[in-house]
Amino acid sequence: MSQTDDRAHADVAPGDEYAHEEFGSGLRSYLIGLGLALLLTAASFWVAQTKVMWAPAIPVALLTFAIAQMGVHLVFFLHLTSGPDNTNNIMALAFGVLIVFLLFGGSVWIMHHMNTNMMMPAEGGAPMPMQHQGGGHH
Amino acid sequence: MLGKLTWSAIPFDQPIPLVAAALVGLVLLGVIAWVVLAGYFPYLWREWITSVDHKRIGVMYVLLGLVMLIRGFSDAILMRSHQALAYNAPGYLPPEHYDQIFSAHGTIMIFFGAMPFMIGLMNFVVPLQLGVRDVAFPTLNSVSFWLTATGALLVNVSLVIGEFARTGWWPSPPLSEITYSPGVGVDYYLWAIQISGIGTLMSGVNLVTTILKMRAPGMSYLRMPMFCWTALASNLLIIAAFPILTATLAMLTLDRYLGFHFFTDEAGGNSMLFMNLFWAWGHPEVYILALPAYGIFSEVISTFSGKPLFAYRSMVWATLAICLLSFTVWLHHFFTMGPGGDVNGVFGITSMIIAVPTGVKIFDWMFTMYGGRVRFTTPMLWSVAFVVTFVVGGATGVLLAIPPADFVLHNSLFLVAHFHNVMVSAVVFAAFAGYTYWFPKAFGFTLDEWWGKAAFWFSLVGYVWVFTPLYVVGLMGMTRRMQHFSVAEWYPWIVAASLGVIVMFAGVVCQVVQLVVSIRRREHLRDLTGDPWDGRSLEWATASPPPSFNFAVMPHVEGEEAYWAIKQRAREQARLREEPDYEPVEMPLNSPTGFVCAFFATLVGFAMIWHIWWLAALGLAGAFATFVVFAWRDRVEYEIPAEAVARINRLNRASRLEALQQARRKEAA
Repeated sequence: MSQTDDRAHADVAPGDEYAHEEFGSGLRSYLIGLGLALLLTAASFWVAQTKVMWAPAIPVALLTFAIAQMGVHLVFFLHLTSGPDNTNNIMALAFGVLIVFLLFGGSVWIMHHMNTNMMMPAEGGAPMPMQHQGGGHH
Repeated sequence: MLGKLTWSAIPFDQPIPLVAAALVGLVLLGVIAWVVLAGYFPYLWREWITSVDHKRIGVMYVLLGLVMLIRGFSDAILMRSHQALAYNAPGYLPPEHYDQIFSAHGTIMIFFGAMPFMIGLMNFVVPLQLGVRDVAFPTLNSVSFWLTATGALLVNVSLVIGEFARTGWWPSPPLSEITYSPGVGVDYYLWAIQISGIGTLMSGVNLVTTILKMRAPGMSYLRMPMFCWTALASNLLIIAAFPILTATLAMLTLDRYLGFHFFTDEAGGNSMLFMNLFWAWGHPEVYILALPAYGIFSEVISTFSGKPLFAYRSMVWATLAICLLSFTVWLHHFFTMGPGGDVNGVFGITSMIIAVPTGVKIFDWMFTMYGGRVRFTTPMLWSVAFVVTFVVGGATGVLLAIPPADFVLHNSLFLVAHFHNVMVSAVVFAAFAGYTYWFPKAFGFTLDEWWGKAAFWFSLVGYVWVFTPLYVVGLMGMTRRMQHFSVAEWYPWIVAASLGVIVMFAGVVCQVVQLVVSIRRREHLRDLTGDPWDGRSLEWATASPPPSFNFAVMPHVEGEEAYWAIKQRAREQARLREEPDYEPVEMPLNSPTGFVCAFFATLVGFAMIWHIWWLAALGLAGAFATFVVFAWRDRVEYEIPAEAVARINRLNRASRLEALQQARRKEAA
């Protein structure tokens, strides 16, 4: 048996505190997460397909549900909590979100300007595909 | 059967690469034959090739970096001497060969010279400084190294089989697209960088995990040596930035192999997006290399000034600020492509702001030296020269951050002089400072000081001699990458720069001689105590070379400069710490996984370059099979008995005690 113990120990990644968690509590958190995720999904379809909400507000509602959905996944499936043992994970998430924001936002902004300034209009006056995408940002 | 590979791929009509490659091949075969005939191969296989020891892997990384720095320098010799002969003349390199050489020079220096050198030093030093026994994932570490070696091998294979990219070290489309570069040169670039990039990313994950999760007891974040902080920031940048490079090059690969149109400027493609994405990796990459360099200088300057690092916390904040700001400046690499005044203004300002934390560091280093008893050893000479020359490079950088100035100077030799000014003085100087500083820790004897100082002075003078004329001739309007030119005013400056290369060459020779001389005189240069420089951090608390388990017992850290505190107490009380209770140590078993994976990765890369699809499939299957075999292994660790740990540690304690008593006798006398 000592060999199996050895293996189990070696395969736990550093920071993986959930390996020794009891089966029951783990399952409960996954089920709550699944329930919330399904609820948010259903709510999105419901809002979009009925007249319960003021039409111009629907995109905002969908965005809210989407962000909440991400939160549910992070907390219940990826076990991101506010506990002291989770500081690294929170910091990593914040760093990642910031970098994605800088890179994505910056690229859209830069590419929009470069297309406006530099791209020759295509023959027949059809708009350039990238111009369209950049325009959508404004 | 062999895809695009035919006999015509070998450049029989070009004597220079063929003769050079034949020489290198002969030397390589000679070394292999010597290793096998002398019976060293089993030792090499057991102790180095399959090693998962972070110290061994670190040494192999540095060795790869050293060899590739020399390889990249030989490209530099070719370019400078060619240009000296190319005034109103064709020079001696045909244009298509000259283009390959400047592309290979940049690619090799950044990806296979500087990167392995820095990653190697981090690998070797960080676990020792943190007071732990290995990195978080030892076998992954070995895989990382061997994949990097695969990339270096592929780039060098292109010398004899086929060609290398003629597009510059960033393969800008549409030139790098299949329409304009139908040969295999760009494909060599793509697969070499992709395969070694996987290694770099895994190495980044490994080191970040090590630093965040595996410090010795009591080693809180704000007690870590500065090199660990800069290593953390650098590896965070690797994790955040390298996926951008991988994705961008994957898109270019799809364009070239499967007729996609990401960057083709037709069918909706946009070549400007490549530049945007490439530099979104490219600028953080500058700091991936520079941050560990700053860490090395911090360690060296503090040790040889005999003082703690000045304003440690400001240095930590400056490091983190650079880590974040490095992601906000990438547009300054293409101010002139046409983003317009608003965008250029914002990125010009961010580019100037990033000079502020770097300036903080410069002051911290100067105040560390101020009032200290500075010992001008070789590592310290490299560090002082860095502080001086880097300020010049930083100033020209802030100048280039002004968009209107950049419109005048972009793509000129002024720009080339600027980035060599900062990269050589930060990264290369740090590499050699770190190499001389930690060499005794790795091998148990110091490097010869006389040859080290000779290497330093030739390199410094040569470097200033090469790049000052390039600044001048750049201001006169000479653009980079010219195969020939006909402006009389430029000619003397180009000749001057070429003469400087001779001086730099002398520096390289001295560096090699230093190694040979030191190995021959190793008994005189022996480092018995494990603390040859009167160091301050934990790597000096163990023997040189450290035992495989680094520390007999985990050190308890009670403040900044963990080892300095231990040493001071020992000096005051005139005795060593109490002998600890030794326990058996478990260490990971060596594994050929890394080497075997890299072998298959080489097959995949080579096969993809030449469109040999069956071989690529075979290589992938082999690499996957290697992974499965590794995952199903039964034993992962071996145990070093407590008696062995005690025996090894007592040897080191004995020599330390002797040194302590000797010092006291000297004091009394």
